[in-house]
Amino acid sequence: MIQLNQVGIGYQKEILRTNDIFLESGKVYALVGRNGIGKSTFIQTIIGQQIVLSGDILIDQRSISTFSSKELSETIALVETRFEGVEYLTVKDYLALGRAPFTDAYGRMTSVDWEIVQKTAADLSIGHLLEKNTDCISDGERQLCAVGRAFVQETPIILLDEPTAFLDYINRNKLLEILVALASKKNKCIILSTHDIDLCLDQAVPLLLASSGKIELFSSLSKDEILNAMY
Amino acid sequence: MKWIIICLWCLLPIAMYVHIISGQIEVSFASFYQAVFHFDANDTMQVLVREFRIPRLLMAMMAGAGLSLSGMLMQTLFKNPLAGPYVLGINSGASLLMAISLMTGIQFFQSNFGLIGTAFIGAFGAGILMMSVAQRLRSQLSLLLVGLMFGSFTSAFVSIIESLAGADSLKSFTMWSMGSLQQVEFGQLGAIVLIFCVALVFAFLLVKPLNLLVIGEKPAQLLGLSIKKTRRSVLLLTALIAGLITAFCGPIAFVGMAIPNLTRLLFQTTNHRHLILGNLLIGAIFLLFMDAFIQVLEAFISLPLNAITSIVGAPFVVFLLIRKLK
Repeated sequence: MIQLNQVGIGYQKEILRTNDIFLESGKVYALVGRNGIGKSTFIQTIIGQQIVLSGDILIDQRSISTFSSKELSETIALVETRFEGVEYLTVKDYLALGRAPFTDAYGRMTSVDWEIVQKTAADLSIGHLLEKNTDCISDGERQLCAVGRAFVQETPIILLDEPTAFLDYINRNKLLEILVALASKKNKCIILSTHDIDLCLDQAVPLLLASSGKIELFSSLSKDEILNAMY
Repeated sequence: MKWIIICLWCLLPIAMYVHIISGQIEVSFASFYQAVFHFDANDTMQVLVREFRIPRLLMAMMAGAGLSLSGMLMQTLFKNPLAGPYVLGINSGASLLMAISLMTGIQFFQSNFGLIGTAFIGAFGAGILMMSVAQRLRSQLSLLLVGLMFGSFTSAFVSIIESLAGADSLKSFTMWSMGSLQQVEFGQLGAIVLIFCVALVFAFLLVKPLNLLVIGEKPAQLLGLSIKKTRRSVLLLTALIAGLITAFCGPIAFVGMAIPNLTRLLFQTTNHRHLILGNLLIGAIFLLFMDAFIQVLEAFISLPLNAITSIVGAPFVVFLLIRKLK
């Protein structure tokens, strides 16, 4: 799905470089590394907000630099660290915004679009929240809604920037479990950045480890090996 | 929500009726009808209707609806419920250029509609300035303070121009700056209504971008929205409407800030398809009642519109501040 060819990442100056890495569909990858090492910059680069300094990112054999913003919105969805909620914006309307790349110029939802919203809500078991306002639900519920909005976008790739940062232990587990299950069920390539190494180990998620200027892919590492590499 | 919209549609003709009957001289509906369709210049009643009542009625509706709409656009664009054409200095920008144009004799444009052009440039310039400042600010309150500072800054220049101006031009500017719905003549109405309607169509075309902006610029961009294009269109539209209204009615305070909040409170939605309609209706109804009140009192005292909307609007804004920012 995603082919990273010696990608140089950074803001003007290179701070990270990947090996040649291939990320498959149907899997969840966890991007781990110390604070400030460039995890967010890596994510910004993949979603096309930050230019590739060297090497290339290919999505289905096509360079990311050739994607228009519309094509990007149909290919990659992003879940930010925290969605604060908006007054009077219902969960249903929020999820529906995920259809924006596919609706007409006036933003009209078809019955197919609504069906996707309903199905996604069922997948994430947030159906009971649909009529509630996004600023009147718990942090955990809101984060699930943000994930839901990304799934509604029906993109083959979903990126999540530290989605577990504001969640309690139970909700972190639940979120990752859901992501792993949905990645294989819907054949999506999901990358999330996180500091929850234990969580990733519990779920046996392959790691993209960022340390000393490099990003490498490891399918199985022990906790000691990870910590040694990171610090 | 459906019921609220139906109620508003019913309330609009009532407000129009109240506005018509609250004038000092009673006019019949027959002369209203005739003044529009079979105008007879010898009938004083018809001249009164044509030259005063109809322009004032339509301007009240357009000013109320237009300012509310431009306020809503700014609140969505800046993601700030306290934004509005008045507090963010859009009116100040227009006022400054109007002062220069009315009092120094420097004409930016020839012809009657030069006024709109002048106010539009002032409004748009202020809008761009606020946009560039807003991108550097995090707090919603800071933007407000910058808007107020910009207001003081421009009004200082306006004062300087006033002190240098002759008596006649000073008077016409002062009258304009008090806010009035009576400056428009029947002949100008057609063009104003036309510009207003074009702006409305334009506003409804922006429904999708506006709905996306609600969740923030960056997430909206990742959903395929072109932020630069959207910013530009929304600012242009805001300046066009606020400039048009300000040119002919003077600066009218607080309508643009208060009504969009009231609309959101009533409709409980972020869907701009409904919010645009709601703002237009509530804004028109609000200003019709305000102006009807002024008309009733005209026998004793002639109140400036700007003062009345401030008296009603300012406390409402304080209420919002207490509710939202605590």
